[in-house]
Amino acid sequence: MLEARQLTKRYGDTLALDKLDLTVAPGEVFCLLGPNGAGKTTTVNLFLNFVSPTSGQALVCGIDAAQDPQRARRALAYIPEMVTLYPALSGAENLGYFSTLADGVQRPPAELLRLLTQAGLDAARAAQKVGGYSKGMRQKVGIAIAMARGAKALLLDEPTSGLDPRAANEFAGSIDTLRRQGVAVLMVTHDLFLAKQCATRVGIMQRGRLVTVIDAATVDPVGLERVYLDSSMEVAA
Amino acid sequence: MNAIVESLPAAPQPERSAARTVAAKEWLELRRGPRGRLLAALMAVLMGVALVGGAVQYERGHQERDAAQDADRSLWNSQGEKDAHSAAHFGQWAFKPPSLLALADPGVDAYSGGAVWMEAHKRNEMQFRPARDSGVTARMGGLTLAFVLQAVLPLVIIVLGFNALSGERERGTLRQLLGQGVTPQALALGKGLALLRGLAWLLLPLAALLVLSGALLAASGQGAGAVQRALAWVGGHTLYLAGFVALTLAVSALARSSRAALVTLLALWLLATFVAPRVMTEVARSSVALPSAQEFRERISAERAKTFGHDETHPAFAAYKAELLAQYKVQRVEDLPLNFRGLALRRDDEMGYSIYDRLFGELDAAITQQDVLRQAPGALLPLLAMQPLSMALAGTDTRHHRHFAQAAEAHRRVIQTMTSEDLIRNQRYGDTAYVSPAALWAKVPPFDYPPPSAAWALRGVWGALGLLLGWVLLSTTLAAVAVRRLRAV
Repeated sequence: MLEARQLTKRYGDTLALDKLDLTVAPGEVFCLLGPNGAGKTTTVNLFLNFVSPTSGQALVCGIDAAQDPQRARRALAYIPEMVTLYPALSGAENLGYFSTLADGVQRPPAELLRLLTQAGLDAARAAQKVGGYSKGMRQKVGIAIAMARGAKALLLDEPTSGLDPRAANEFAGSIDTLRRQGVAVLMVTHDLFLAKQCATRVGIMQRGRLVTVIDAATVDPVGLERVYLDSSMEVAA
Repeated sequence: MNAIVESLPAAPQPERSAARTVAAKEWLELRRGPRGRLLAALMAVLMGVALVGGAVQYERGHQERDAAQDADRSLWNSQGEKDAHSAAHFGQWAFKPPSLLALADPGVDAYSGGAVWMEAHKRNEMQFRPARDSGVTARMGGLTLAFVLQAVLPLVIIVLGFNALSGERERGTLRQLLGQGVTPQALALGKGLALLRGLAWLLLPLAALLVLSGALLAASGQGAGAVQRALAWVGGHTLYLAGFVALTLAVSALARSSRAALVTLLALWLLATFVAPRVMTEVARSSVALPSAQEFRERISAERAKTFGHDETHPAFAAYKAELLAQYKVQRVEDLPLNFRGLALRRDDEMGYSIYDRLFGELDAAITQQDVLRQAPGALLPLLAMQPLSMALAGTDTRHHRHFAQAAEAHRRVIQTMTSEDLIRNQRYGDTAYVSPAALWAKVPPFDYPPPSAAWALRGVWGALGLLLGWVLLSTTLAAVAVRRLRAV
């Protein structure tokens, strides 16, 4: 479970995030939409404690990320916009490395292969060096790492940026698998269709504030786009 | 909520275990990547060439020394019946036995010489200095194992590790790793362990080879302490190189980019390896003046002029004669119970000994002062500490040469005493026909020089060893501080 309590981040005179209150429950996918500079990535960075909050709290499974960042990080999985892997290692070796680092468990090759195929990677590619992987394939390795972790919470930062529609659709399927396993997912994206496809709730951020939260089931992609644009105009006005 | 927290891993990945995982991955990448393979091959070739070259030189030096020593001894023994003082002037050579580790670090051997001519009245400087007889290439320094370990291997560490942490940041993997809960300390420790493992692959076979050679030499009675010296030599270099591993990681963590890290590290390497030794040599030379060889000889001549040698008109000779006559209460030297010529020769030698002891002592003290000054910044510029430590353990530093020269001088004095004593006891005053028996020469013990122990060698370089430990401490502290500042964004 992920929770932000009056979470605020200020860079000098710039207010990057303003008193964010947000809860992502287990089995929920919360998509944060918003233009560049709205505070979406700052929110992710605060949950990871890559930056410290000016005030408020970012809680991961009840652990204050600013107070105990290592423990908070161990409780969550994180997939950035561009999953970067070690090109001299295969997909399975990368998965083995990252997952062992996270929990100290060395997984047998068969389990690594199972996780990769479960994340949507072709089994034949698992043993190949990732130097030749497409972005979509690397994102799938990222999903497999998150699955291996068995984390209770997942942070995604623009995970489908640059993916072709088919790869993005496969990625959405993987997210849904994790949601059904009870993982609390917070996803930052610009992709309204992905948000509609994956999310249980959608939050729209503008200028560091969460201005709208809607139930994804109540809108279609066109309706979501309208809400997003209306929110932008209201803030601009 | 509580149930979720409780279901989290109770024992998170300990840092040591995470570091081992990082180290294993780094080692795998190192083995697979062209950079690691190329550098490993290059190092193997360089070390092999240096080792073989050193071994050939060692063996040649050993054989030449043994042959020269034997030839010189048989010349001495075959003098036949002869005036004992003429035999003292005939003289003998004392050859410095090459130490095993001289093949790895020849130190100042080429400049200090490897033999001393032991003759009557004079304490000679060491002779046979290969640097004097060699071309400019030899004086610029050949490819020795010490050079490979002290100059080339730090460069290899830099090339392998400059982007260890900066590269993770540039690729974006640092963000992912830290996001996994990996601490920067565990990451850096793992990187360091992988580099140290690479070093171990190079140094352990070398240590095994040197220790085995040392053990074989010791078993043949030629290399007492060679095993301990070899172990300490490799251990000292391991410390020196471990400091470079820490420095490389520190700079990699602090630099804004891998390119900046590489440029910074190369600049530091150049400074530490080539600039600092030259600059500090000049600083030491200008701070503690040493007399030139000519000036030193002139100083000795001036002091020796106070003694009489063979000059019977010298006031010191007359004074000694008067002293003897008074001591034995006789009027003429012919009435002395002992041979006056022998006594005078012995007195002249004794007067010379104190002069040599004082002047050589002053020279040695000045050289020691220079050495101390030169190595002073060794905790920051570690080659300044590593070089004296390496040479000391190899038995090729000035202190070992001094030790040998003093042993040779002590032996010269034994020869002088024996020849003078023969005259004192057996020659009648004025009997110019007296010759010492041929058997006397064989009674002069052959020059036997057991090299000093490893502990003795270390006692002379405690300061350098302390500076080397300081280097490791400083570079490790810098790495710890730099890594603590490592941020994902």
